Amino acid sequence: MSSRLTPSQTIGPFFHEGMKWRGGGTLFTAGTPGRVVRIAGLVTDGDGQPVPDALLEFWQADASGNFGAPTEGACAGFGRVMTDDRGRYEIETRVPGAVPGADLKKQAPHIVVLVLARGLLHQLLTRVYFEGEEANAGDAVLASCGARSETLLAKRTPGADDAYVWDLSLQGPKETVFFEC
Amino acid sequence: MRIRPRPADVNPKLLTPAYGSTVKRAPARAPLVLPQGASEISGPRFDSTVLYPSHDDLTRQCEGEPLGERIIVTGRVLDENGDALPNTLVELWQCNAAGRYHHSKDQHEAPLDPNFKGGGRVITDAQGRYRFTTIKPGAYPWRNHTNAWRPAHLHFSVFGTSVLQRLVTQMYFQGDPLLAYDPIFNSVPEKARERLVSRFDLEITKPEFALGYRFDIVLRGPGATPAN
Repeated sequence: MSSRLTPSQTIGPFFHEGMKWRGGGTLFTAGTPGRVVRIAGLVTDGDGQPVPDALLEFWQADASGNFGAPTEGACAGFGRVMTDDRGRYEIETRVPGAVPGADLKKQAPHIVVLVLARGLLHQLLTRVYFEGEEANAGDAVLASCGARSETLLAKRTPGADDAYVWDLSLQGPKETVFFEC
Repeated sequence: MRIRPRPADVNPKLLTPAYGSTVKRAPARAPLVLPQGASEISGPRFDSTVLYPSHDDLTRQCEGEPLGERIIVTGRVLDENGDALPNTLVELWQCNAAGRYHHSKDQHEAPLDPNFKGGGRVITDAQGRYRFTTIKPGAYPWRNHTNAWRPAHLHFSVFGTSVLQRLVTQMYFQGDPLLAYDPIFNSVPEKARERLVSRFDLEITKPEFALGYRFDIVLRGPGATPAN
């Protein structure tokens, strides 16, 4: 059977009117149980230059490991941010609970991330994990990345338990691991 | 059921030097395989509460009506098995009839239209149908190469039921002479390009009101993983 799949095209630089999102980078409403954390970072290109026109989408389970359903104007566990003029983004979320992987084994807490930008002819799929989580050591996906698994770890900001830094490199020596999608 | 792997001959190659912005932004390393677990097949899903006034009619979002040729764009969101995808979020954005986006960084010297913002959003119905009323976008120049012009296009964003079905793409118009010169359109493998071209449809066309175009959107779907 020949595929009829619709091909992807770049999101381009001027997506803001179509992709504006009320909740922005706030993945859960105030009062949602779980450890509140902020993740902030920088998106760079192959020259190390900031990417000021990227769109990042985040999708994760709640602190109990359950995925959200539609709620008023949003979906719990989903967030969408646009990088600013300096290539920076920030989200506020909860550390997700453990959810099963393809082998049905529980995985370390992680967030699915889609990256779209001018110059990307299709989306990129990646994951962000949390530095210091015990379960990271046994996570099959992290293990599959070998030494490059470092690129998927949000680093704790010294002195701020609830703040993490996770930079994305689209290309180059510190290139973030991306997955087939 | 797992989502089928994407065939290699559908999407553009990330590194497409004719489209200059890919050169420093396309990851150089091959993507790793990610086995499909709960995170990949679980959502997100949205309902009509993400919509806003005149979300499906871009000609009625401002005080007056925008200039340009009014059009209706409609179609179905399906998976590759032909099954409809109901209740899925479809987002649209575009430039105005003069080829200018309502965006602070668009420097093209064409007029802004005070009556056109250029964003829309709908949720598909039970048969996977969506429908927008808007105006035909203009062509516009860009600095990719000398005398580079984008063909008229609408940007689409579709969610499906999971991040593995997520699709962001562009819809074009039949017979646009600029298609032959556009490195973004031509980044798609040749046999798949026509899937991005909408079809004029007299059935959709509303007498005395607007031209109609059909554009179906086909996302990845579940199926047995072929042995390899």
